[in-house]
Amino acid sequence: MNEDNKMTDKKVIETEITMGTVHSAAIEPYRVRLFVEDEIVRDAEITVGINHRGIERIMEGLPVEKANSLTEKICGICSNSHIWNSVLVAEKAVGIDVPERAQYIRIIMEELERLHSHMLYLAHGSEVLGHETFAMRLFYIRETVMELLRMIGGNRVQYGVSIIGGIRPRCELDEMRIQKIREGMDIIEEKILEFADRFVSDPMIMARITGVGVLSQKQAIKLAATGPTLRSTGVEIDLRREMESYDPFEFDIITQDDGDVKSNLLVRVLEIPEAIKIIRQALDNLPAGKITNRSWEMQDAPITKSYIEVPRGKLYHSYSLEDGRVRNCIIRTPSITNIGAMQYAAVGHHITDAQLAIVQCDPCFTCTDRAIQIIKI
Amino acid sequence: MTALNSLIAVIGTLIVALLVSVWLPGIERKFVQARIQQRVGPPISSAGIMAPIKFFFKETINPNSPMPKLYNALPIISFLSVLFILLLTIPQLYVFAAFTSIIALVGLLKIEEVIYMFMGSLSKSVMSLKMPFPDIVKGAKHPDTPRSYLEELSSLRAFRLIAFGSFPLYIALFVPVAMSKSIYLSGIVAYQQIHGPVLFTLAGVLGAIVFFIGYMILLNEYPFAILKTKADVIEGPLMEYAAKYRAYNYITRGFLMFVLASIFTTLFLGIPPNLFSWTILVTIAVALIFPILMAVMSAFSPIFTYKQFYPTVAGVSVIGILAIIASFL
Repeated sequence: MNEDNKMTDKKVIETEITMGTVHSAAIEPYRVRLFVEDEIVRDAEITVGINHRGIERIMEGLPVEKANSLTEKICGICSNSHIWNSVLVAEKAVGIDVPERAQYIRIIMEELERLHSHMLYLAHGSEVLGHETFAMRLFYIRETVMELLRMIGGNRVQYGVSIIGGIRPRCELDEMRIQKIREGMDIIEEKILEFADRFVSDPMIMARITGVGVLSQKQAIKLAATGPTLRSTGVEIDLRREMESYDPFEFDIITQDDGDVKSNLLVRVLEIPEAIKIIRQALDNLPAGKITNRSWEMQDAPITKSYIEVPRGKLYHSYSLEDGRVRNCIIRTPSITNIGAMQYAAVGHHITDAQLAIVQCDPCFTCTDRAIQIIKI
Repeated sequence: MTALNSLIAVIGTLIVALLVSVWLPGIERKFVQARIQQRVGPPISSAGIMAPIKFFFKETINPNSPMPKLYNALPIISFLSVLFILLLTIPQLYVFAAFTSIIALVGLLKIEEVIYMFMGSLSKSVMSLKMPFPDIVKGAKHPDTPRSYLEELSSLRAFRLIAFGSFPLYIALFVPVAMSKSIYLSGIVAYQQIHGPVLFTLAGVLGAIVFFIGYMILLNEYPFAILKTKADVIEGPLMEYAAKYRAYNYITRGFLMFVLASIFTTLFLGIPPNLFSWTILVTIAVALIFPILMAVMSAFSPIFTYKQFYPTVAGVSVIGILAIIASFL
């Protein structure tokens, strides 16, 4: 896209189109102000905070186990990521060793969650494109993952797998469960590759998504975009490579170069087989032994930080511990910077493409809305 | 006796059209789109029959419109214009020569299109309302920019549809005119009774393809649904219609499906909707086939933006012009 399009000169802005806070193309409440000239977006403003819940504030003073459970409520899509990262903070702060088998099962859960999150993203993207058939079929494929998550965690969302020191006993993987996961992976791999093939060979879809919502690599870095959104601009950064838990696993970091909707979709499509690869490795090499370390004692700890790579990018949790209770809690989800970046990606495109450009970063507004908002008076 | 027969034919045809048309949206959604999308889908009677009945008994709202009475009257005007189109294709009314010409048909179709423009410009739904306080407190961008409603945007798009988008349909309508060298429907039908259906010629085949694309554009169906794009203008000009006014919209859409099929059979097959002939079954069959084809096409395509819409319309219009040229050969 021409950089000249990214102008905010008031003279060229004819009118404002406001979308939201409730809009049919947005599954969560947020507001977009599009400043348009002949249906071409000249500037955009995205406002979040409509669904603010202040979870960090609620967590303050709660026993750490309860606070960890509460983090699952931050997001219905990446609930496992939140509880895992929150538990990691406590384990790091207190110095708790986690059994290797539990580490593997946590990885399996996280990658299953990545699968369902990416498929949800693809389905939602297809819906915004107006391609309901692809959206329905993706939901159909995703159902296999949802059932696997339900089998392990007992729920389709908020599985409650990770606890301090390991995983819950009910989430242990026996032979029957392992076999079902293997079968599920075979089904998903076959179907998602078939979908990807059809998706990229559809000229109408390619016409709609190529060159739309372009975010240059320079801009992505400047605006601190993260996760697949950053990788779609050609930056090869995946926090999983730096995480100790992922050391035993071989996988490729998927990147694309164009930073447009097509690149974003392709990065996520191609990350699905990589996630399946990790799950298969974890199942093949699942160590024997216990799944929970009970021999630890709670102690006070200063502010401890933890970063993990979740489906949308880098997730940050930090808190300190005082008498077994959470203090100074801060949570930063990947969507906050990605949404900011999308204000730029939407500029220069037709108004129908603006929603697509915003959705391309896989925004999770309710995740982001949990932060405390301070208005300077 | 002839007058009575004509009256029975007209009323009977209208009843048949209404009875068939209420099932068409359901067939489109249930039998085709839902099957393709591997979902159960709504009951077949839902979209065309149960939904309008339900809406008729709901409490209506006062639209946020500068002219609420006119705004509420527009769906009825739209329905009447479609009704008149059907009337002029009924052979018993061919005696009203000027009324049953292709010019009258185009004029009435244009009324149906123009109504969307009025609907959009007269509607100001809550969907686009500004929230002034956060805009000021948070130091929002461009605080003084005039605001446009989503419906106004779709009104502008309706204007573009009238000016450009519906070209294919109108070009296709003139293929039988060019072949029969008559602007009167009676002349076009008579020509085909002697020379065979226009559809069975090269010009007719090309014209039929162009007509079908025009049919989809006029019905605002995916991928040409720029008036009702879910990603931005949502329901577009129909956003504020509630209760019985929405019911009129639903009925009109189904009715328009039947009427366009009736136009097609009249112009391309030489078979007008005649209640006293078995050929009415052909009209009904075409009325069923068109939504099925449309549902297949829309199930496998994303919504177009102008970037895809303009070239598609231009390309299809060129095919239409070629069809007209071929009709002179």
